[in-house]
Amino acid sequence: MSGTYTCLVVEDSPMMRQLLVLALSRLKNLKVTEADDGVDGLRKLAAGKFDIIITDINMPIMYGLKLVKRVRSDPTHKDVPVIIITTEGSSEDRSRALQLGANAYITKPIQAPQVIAKVKELLKIEG
Amino acid sequence: MSDKKGRGARRSDRPPAADALKEKRDAFLHTFFKRGAELTDEIVHDNRRLREELAKLEAENTELKTQLASDRAIRDLLTKIEHLEREKARLLSTVRESEEITGRITNRFSEVESELESFANLYVASFQLHLTPDVGAVVRHIKELLEQLVGARSLAVYFVDEPRRCLEAVATAGVDAGSVPTIPLHEGQPGGEVQAAVERAFLTGVARVAEGENPPRPAACVPLILGERSLGVIVIYDLLEQKRRFVTVDRELFKLLGAHAAAAIVGAFHFHKSGERIPTPSELRAITS
Repeated sequence: MSGTYTCLVVEDSPMMRQLLVLALSRLKNLKVTEADDGVDGLRKLAAGKFDIIITDINMPIMYGLKLVKRVRSDPTHKDVPVIIITTEGSSEDRSRALQLGANAYITKPIQAPQVIAKVKELLKIEG
Repeated sequence: MSDKKGRGARRSDRPPAADALKEKRDAFLHTFFKRGAELTDEIVHDNRRLREELAKLEAENTELKTQLASDRAIRDLLTKIEHLEREKARLLSTVRESEEITGRITNRFSEVESELESFANLYVASFQLHLTPDVGAVVRHIKELLEQLVGARSLAVYFVDEPRRCLEAVATAGVDAGSVPTIPLHEGQPGGEVQAAVERAFLTGVARVAEGENPPRPAACVPLILGERSLGVIVIYDLLEQKRRFVTVDRELFKLLGAHAAAAIVGAFHFHKSGERIPTPSELRAITS
């Protein structure tokens, strides 16, 4: 893949959202859209097309895993790579997210290089 | 013609001395030719022998020439090997230099990456800390910063009660608020390990952040300073399972929180208490002039 990519960041914490957007801003050809929770995320998915989704798991309005399930059943976005971000470090959560179709799993506290590396890997961005 | 006739006519008439002379001459000629033939044979023989020797010498010469050429080729090869060895050493040295430079660049790159991450975290922390004049939101942001950026599993934010000479928890995360004790300021008197660490951080104004992996409880005590005064302490009891140790950016964040959190809390509190009244320019001038 090449050109400009679009990324949807679904995170209820403004601080984490800001941190993720700041980290992703280092990828020059990535346009980031923010969503406050799972429902807002689905709304934004319905309005546009995204190349990658990054979502928190623990959100008050819609749980991140539910969002992954909805994305995988949506014909437009069923093949879009999804990265799950959560504070939970247990292998149970990791395998649950992967079972539902998430492509990668990052645990908090997040590190910008780790997020960037995952996004580049899933979008097959080189360099 | 007459002379010829005369010689033929006179042969039988020759005297014996002439015959003897003739015999002598014939004998001489015979000997001469015989000797000549022998000499010729000798010469032919010598010539053959010399030719053979010449051939032998030529063969030897060729052999020597080949050997000489071979020696020269070996010398040339040795010279070439020496040259190539020097070239190899030079290239190896260049490779080593390049590797060193690459190593230095890689290290510098990871340092810059780390600094960049540190700046990003500090920017977000500072931004969030002063985003709102609401005390509850400020405290929530402090907890969130510690949970999300540092990876604290359980923590408490203590504030000083100066009249009662004690520290009281005003916020907790990952731990039951009821189980967090009030800490009397004994000024050095022994208490529990956690209490002693919190008290020490408050009284000295110096943060205590555990080094190494799997830090003991409490993992960190960060005094909240406003001006010259200690107003409270952030205590991180435990870290998340995946967070094994504090890193540089965490220590930078502690410095930021230590210097700004108290101001943010106190500022938000007074703003709320004053009915969100903002100072007039004349009031500000009166204070700043």
